[in-house]
Amino acid sequence: MTKPIVHKDVVIIGAGMAGLTAALYAGRMNLDVLVLENGIIGGQIANATDIENFPGFISVSGSELIGTLQKQAEKFGAVVDEFDSIVKVSLRENPKIVETEEKIYQTDAVIIASGMNRRKLPLPEEKKFASRGVHYCEFCDGFMYQDKIIAVMGGGNAAVDAANFLTKYGKKIYLIHRSEFRADEVSQRRIRQNPKIEIMLQTEIKALHGDKKLESIDILDKKSGELKNLAVDGIFVNIGVEPNTALFKDELKLSPSGRIIAGEDCRTEIDGVFAAGDVREKEIRQLTTAASDGTTAALLAEKYISRLKETI
Amino acid sequence: MVKVYSITSCPWCEKTKKYLASKGVEFEVRNIEENDEYAEECEKISGDTMVPVTTIDGKNFVLGFDKAKLDALIAG
Repeated sequence: MTKPIVHKDVVIIGAGMAGLTAALYAGRMNLDVLVLENGIIGGQIANATDIENFPGFISVSGSELIGTLQKQAEKFGAVVDEFDSIVKVSLRENPKIVETEEKIYQTDAVIIASGMNRRKLPLPEEKKFASRGVHYCEFCDGFMYQDKIIAVMGGGNAAVDAANFLTKYGKKIYLIHRSEFRADEVSQRRIRQNPKIEIMLQTEIKALHGDKKLESIDILDKKSGELKNLAVDGIFVNIGVEPNTALFKDELKLSPSGRIIAGEDCRTEIDGVFAAGDVREKEIRQLTTAASDGTTAALLAEKYISRLKETI
Repeated sequence: MVKVYSITSCPWCEKTKKYLASKGVEFEVRNIEENDEYAEECEKISGDTMVPVTTIDGKNFVLGFDKAKLDALIAG
């Protein structure tokens, strides 16, 4: 079956903070905007319960913040498609091509805001226990651990947030991290005050055990060298993220960590292709900087498209 | 009738429900947070500790959001 060919002014890849902010700005400039999202709208912040560092909000959930942003973008004409997955891209052509399972999009500009995916638990038993004790979505699967013993693996803000959230369900939560906390001071203080949570720093998870479901884990206390077995019903893995750049690796320069190399103006090495948000190699990756990148990318994409149309 | 075992604040459950709706498929939401029987059924069907679980007959099911598998399930 031949796929229909559809023209867009700008295709935005990813519907997180950067992508939806870009969609809002591009929509307000009367561009014909399509946002494609393979995963969850909102990306990493979809699971965030209390965002307290986004200006203008004392505290807001990720779903509320991103839901409002999506409505804002759609109000100005942006279309968000979360069901049609991208198969391949050709960025050096003009127009550029973004091919999905169902359509071929020709587009003048592309804004890549594909963000990051949660890193999988790097143990051979991960596959055996995936969804049977090893989980990556607290919101989806936390409920299954009513009155159970849960381990959260990780030491950043996302892990701390997950541990706090899971106290709603579990009778005991272990926060296990191989080094020291990376979470901010406010989050650390909050978690230390929670009586259901036991913090185990400088501790590594070495093995998972269980018949059909996870029953226990082996942990190594790195300071004492002691290896012990801990009864645990489920692990929620929050050990960082990796950039979602597989689609672009043949056309764009990636940093050693796999992120797209682009300037603070979000311009990549290819004219008309911009990288915004966490997928761009940069020192600071916050929600606010993702919004900033989305803004910059959309405004410069509009300039690029205007110049392109003048030359035709 | 398609049944979606899910919980209230679950992004992948929402995505599954939106996808079924976009295909014009009628479905019943079985919220396992609000109904213990649904929770037991859900675990019995999949044997997993994860939602969403989408099924028609309680035997064949789709775990999580998987477009291709949902399409196959709907197509029967």
